[in-house]
Amino acid sequence: MRVSLVLLCLAALPAAAQDAPADTTRALETISVTATRTAKQIEDVAMPLTVVTATDIEARGAVRLSDVLEDVPGLFLTDDFGTGLSMQGFSPDYTLILLDGEPVVGRTGGTLDLDRLTVAGVERVEVVRGPSSSLYGSEALAGVVNLVTRLPGPGQTEGAVRLRAGSYGATDAGVQAGVGRGDWAVRALVNRNGSAGYDLTPDDFGQTVPEFSDWTADVRSRARLGAATVRLNGRVAQQQQRGGFAALGTRGELAEVDDDASRVDGSVHAEFARPLGRRLFLRSTLYGARYATETTFTERGTDVVTYQDAFDQRLAKAEAQLDGLWSARHRSTLGAGAQAEALAGERYGQAADGSDARPRASQAWAFAQHEWLPSRTVELNASARFDAHADFAARVTPRVSVLVRPAEAVRLRASVGSGFKAPAFRQLYLAFTNAAAGYSVFGSTRLADGFQTLVDQGQIAQTFLDPAGLDPIRAESSVAFNGGVSADLGRLSVEADGYLNLVRDLIETQPIALRTNGQSVFGYFNLDRIYTRGLDLNATLAPLDGLTLRAGYGFLQARDRDVVADLRAGTVFGRDTTGAERRLSLSDYGGLFGRSPHSATASAELRRGDATASARLRWRSRYGYRDLDGNAVANRDDEFVAGFAVVDLTASRAWDLPRARLTAQAGVDNVFGVTRPSLIPSMPGRTAFVGLGVTF
Amino acid sequence: MNRLLLAALVGTLTLSACDSNDPDPVAIEAQVATDVAADPGVRDPNTGQVASTGRYTLFDLDAGTVVLDYTETDRADSLGTAWDIGFNGTSIIVNGGPGRAGDAAAQVLGENGTTPVAFEDLTEAPADGYRQDGTAECPAVQTPGGTFPGAPLAVCSGSDNGWYTYVPFPTGGGYIVPTAGQPLVVRTTAGAYAKVQFVSYYQGNPAPADIDETSAGRYYTFRYVVSEPGSRSFLTTER
Repeated sequence: MRVSLVLLCLAALPAAAQDAPADTTRALETISVTATRTAKQIEDVAMPLTVVTATDIEARGAVRLSDVLEDVPGLFLTDDFGTGLSMQGFSPDYTLILLDGEPVVGRTGGTLDLDRLTVAGVERVEVVRGPSSSLYGSEALAGVVNLVTRLPGPGQTEGAVRLRAGSYGATDAGVQAGVGRGDWAVRALVNRNGSAGYDLTPDDFGQTVPEFSDWTADVRSRARLGAATVRLNGRVAQQQQRGGFAALGTRGELAEVDDDASRVDGSVHAEFARPLGRRLFLRSTLYGARYATETTFTERGTDVVTYQDAFDQRLAKAEAQLDGLWSARHRSTLGAGAQAEALAGERYGQAADGSDARPRASQAWAFAQHEWLPSRTVELNASARFDAHADFAARVTPRVSVLVRPAEAVRLRASVGSGFKAPAFRQLYLAFTNAAAGYSVFGSTRLADGFQTLVDQGQIAQTFLDPAGLDPIRAESSVAFNGGVSADLGRLSVEADGYLNLVRDLIETQPIALRTNGQSVFGYFNLDRIYTRGLDLNATLAPLDGLTLRAGYGFLQARDRDVVADLRAGTVFGRDTTGAERRLSLSDYGGLFGRSPHSATASAELRRGDATASARLRWRSRYGYRDLDGNAVANRDDEFVAGFAVVDLTASRAWDLPRARLTAQAGVDNVFGVTRPSLIPSMPGRTAFVGLGVTF
Repeated sequence: MNRLLLAALVGTLTLSACDSNDPDPVAIEAQVATDVAADPGVRDPNTGQVASTGRYTLFDLDAGTVVLDYTETDRADSLGTAWDIGFNGTSIIVNGGPGRAGDAAAQVLGENGTTPVAFEDLTEAPADGYRQDGTAECPAVQTPGGTFPGAPLAVCSGSDNGWYTYVPFPTGGGYIVPTAGQPLVVRTTAGAYAKVQFVSYYQGNPAPADIDETSAGRYYTFRYVVSEPGSRSFLTTER
């Protein structure tokens, strides 16, 4: 019963993890607030969960969220409109990224660029795999990543200055200060991350990764007002980048084009929390976020601006959550919220009546969760959420999970749940015509009007599909099964997790008409059905004090169900590099693009007094990325990116000074200099860095 | 059906193997036509617009020659019976049907309810299912003025309707890829049968990985095998 009591006592103070004084950090490293929206020991979470602590982050020399997540077993980083995260075989737009429990906004092509987020000031990064839509709604179809920050404990005054420099002019610098007193605490930081960029294809004009500088300022604070706790958090980030590329210019020849881009994003987060009597705890939040980008292409020589785009996304969100601790065996959570979003950007055009150039969307939701411990070895959790949105059909997403402890050291986990992903902005509101290429793309709410305008202008030559009679677009949805076992055998712990996600109504573009210029008009439709299934095996061994060894293996199949049916029916053919045609079987199918069926991670971390050394390896097998023989399937060798392994090394040493602590760190990333020029722009080959930090 | 065919074939092979006077039938060696220009047009350097002529290049499969190039303005030969198929852009015509001098016919296997097959595995032309221009049925096309039947061509126009698939580039735009497993079978004006495998739509038959926005399209490279007149078999016992 002891474990359960600990669990539920923690539950009475959902914000406890963030309130804890710093000297208890070690004990609290095992707490997660993400999986159930309440504080919970990670061993007692029924979903596959990984927690990366600040200690791990420092030992690896990670400075951005991408650096942290690249080493987490079962996760892949993707390289499309920034560095994205692929979890359980899903594209980046299926994973929700939270900062202190609130959503980070701003995606391009579905990718929320993980390089945007500094991990300075972050206490831990929690990664929950499997759908969490029953608590978090849209985007949490594949999983949730939550960055949890830390405030100084009572009586603590702390500060830090960190500087780091590395290959290709990469720099990261930060100043941080925090004060904690009896009733209040505040922490502020400023971080600058930058790079001179690099060029993997020197024969072509323009760098592979452009020069950029990225500033972040972040303030977190908390005050106790009687029984209540009030938090105020704010964050603002700004990035400038300057790149270039070669393209067919206005003079009909290949021209050099400068690509200038800027980005501003930020958020304000206010929270009010207080107990209501002995059994209830209320937490309410107000959250506002903005993400704005500007891109300009300027042709060299003529100074003609060939392309300009501005995008501005604003979110306002209010939410309240009530936790009820009924007994040592029963706990409930009830929550409700609403949010409004507004978009502006050339690509989102004017509304149909011309009255308002900003698409607006409103959304409201309610969720409930109940945790029940029917016996000392079994814990059940059921949750469900209802989401209503102005522009697509309302959804209910339930989840049921069970955790069984047949022995003190063994945990069995199983869950069945549903996930959903709302149609993205572009899928709902885009109204875009590519002036150079001459094609048009319309979001579902714009399609009928946009198409009619083209008809009235006499620009339609042929209609394949009349948008007038179409059903409204639906959210993409999944049914997911997760199951796992973990055993803690003293110095060795092992864990195995399996998953199956059945997804339907994936939204894809499809041409609906041919314009008189020969180009197509595209709309968004609920088309594809896919499944992803896999197995993650992980082991951690501590053979000696101070030495930790980790190894992991991941198996993944991400497949289009219609392609699988066609392959089984024998109606899919391929052409090999010699031109010979062949009927394809299921074993020829490389799966969805960008997914490696096999992956592995291994790491060793050694701590000796004030010295730390860390070596990490990650490997992934080949993955498909394009179709060359017209069958929409990756099946021939030149349709795959060859598999690769990357090894990173980091070493640090700390010294105690009279009133401060000095840390020096050096590292080599990608020791063997693996590159995939033009395929993986974010992999420049071997890089090195040195860093110095003073904390007091 | 294919399995029966294969069993019959294997049976024939086994039987004939016992008879040393009757050599095993082998596939007739395929011929290759390279860079048959299908009205590629000329890009105006000032406007970037491509101006094309609208004329077809006509090809005789029996003889393996171009009968009439798209550059010829004297189109008298298009009224003859020498040519079997013609090319303009992605459009393919056959010399058979109303208004055509010849009686050629064609079908794309894998379309219109037929079974796809790898080019090399097609050892005999189908006995029926051939279509002619002007009478063939193609997928309907909707326009703002109403729904119209597709252009009645033996080889239907449009991506995934006939011989090609339009594959988008990840960066925008796209290119024409001959659809694998969908050979074009032609009953020629000379009464023979030909199977045609389209290899490339781009000048110089570049490797698919090398095709980009700058590649010159409307140049057909294709492999083809013509049967003996009167026979549907693409095998021969002659060495």
